[in-house]
Amino acid sequence: MPLDQIIRLALLVIFSVNAALVTALVTLKTVHRRRMRLHEKRRQGYLAVLSRHLSYEHCTDPITEDMAEDPAFLDALIDMRNAITGDEVATLRRIVNRHGVIERQVRHLDSSLLLGRRLRAAVAIAEIGDETAADALMRHLDDREPEIRIQCARGLGRIQWTPAIDQIVSRFSGEDPWVRARFSDTLVGYGTKATWPLLAYVRINHRFESKGPALALRTIGQIQDDQAVGPMLEILDDAADLDVQLATIEALGELASPEALPALVDLLDDEVWQLRAKAASAMGGIGDPEAIPRMFGSLRDENWWVRRSAAAALARLPGGVDALYAALEDEDRYAADAAAEALTDAGELVSARRRIDAGVSDNEPLLAHMERGVVA
Amino acid sequence: MSEKKKILVADDSETIRALLQTALESAGYEVDMAKDGVSAYELGSNGDYDLVILDQLMPGLLGLDVITRWHQEGMDVPVLMLTGVDDDRTAVESFDRGAVDYVRKPFRITELMARIRMRL
Repeated sequence: MPLDQIIRLALLVIFSVNAALVTALVTLKTVHRRRMRLHEKRRQGYLAVLSRHLSYEHCTDPITEDMAEDPAFLDALIDMRNAITGDEVATLRRIVNRHGVIERQVRHLDSSLLLGRRLRAAVAIAEIGDETAADALMRHLDDREPEIRIQCARGLGRIQWTPAIDQIVSRFSGEDPWVRARFSDTLVGYGTKATWPLLAYVRINHRFESKGPALALRTIGQIQDDQAVGPMLEILDDAADLDVQLATIEALGELASPEALPALVDLLDDEVWQLRAKAASAMGGIGDPEAIPRMFGSLRDENWWVRRSAAAALARLPGGVDALYAALEDEDRYAADAAAEALTDAGELVSARRRIDAGVSDNEPLLAHMERGVVA
Repeated sequence: MSEKKKILVADDSETIRALLQTALESAGYEVDMAKDGVSAYELGSNGDYDLVILDQLMPGLLGLDVITRWHQEGMDVPVLMLTGVDDDRTAVESFDRGAVDYVRKPFRITELMARIRMRL
């Protein structure tokens, strides 16, 4: 076959394949858009049905088996569940139970081969929040799919299923980091009920690993349970791993208990700079002005991050801003610069400029310091 | 025969609009809907509403800004604000700008209806 014919044939084939691909893509997109429009239309209809069920005591609008299987119905159910609270949630759950919605979703979660369907089922069960699904949610904390594990933990947290707390905490060690982080969010939702299981987990595991216990400690800090302060001080004393120590200090700062102050003050002299810096930050969180003299000393620390942390913490203490202004005159330029930076972050530079512009003041030490220039 | 009381519901959430429309109509109120701040402002300015249920976070114009504009134009429209569960600032500011009440989302329909009945 002559070369030009071969080339023409090849071009024809390439053009035909491209045309077929483009046609297929356009068709898929059109079909998808149509499906989405129909889904949305059905969802709006279901919202109206659910609204009537919630508004009329003897509403007779049917909820059929087909509806209960429809993803649009699930979406409407979830939206409605998130819009209401109190007695109406119980009403919605009665509707859900009467029509076997949860049971269907549990079946999909247990046995569907399609990941999308299983995930949708997990999300629906988690969002609707019904105790009848608790066993299924517990089973699937070990699901092979990370997102399903996350949704199941969320669902258990939503119904405040306390037997799940130990199960979720115990999975900190073996989990992917981002799944663990989502588990932590769920545990924060449990509030103080999760404190002791988390503390127990840390006590058992902190000598063998760091990531799980560190996250558990941070979770306790977010829960804000004062009862955890004493045990956490013991852990701080006992722990050898730096990540665990840092997480404990961070959590103590979140808990903001003056009981932790003596231990944190001691840490300002630790040989490890990360501990000194974290302790200074935590003391800023506690907010006790008695810490000011000691923190002032940390402005002269040899490590810049410690200086910076101490200065930032001082800015948070009552009377700390005055101490920072005094530090601007410190013969140690690094201490003065750390103070200047913290004052600037606290908005003092803007305030100083405003005072000068308004003629209220003609001498602002912070401005003078900035004009002198910071040490590189 | 007494006239039906007229309520404007302004919320960008379709779910909230569907729910409130059904609940309010079942209670015998005449209901208009707005799905953003601009149409809420326009409908409220032109309509004669006995009550406006106004969400804070809407596209176009925030709920508080809608109230402010109505007040600047001398309109005395009773407004019940819908605010987020942690949004204390909006709750307080809504009173400063002239709202008569607020309800946090997610809400109890029975509570909301009771507050509406109290106003109308």
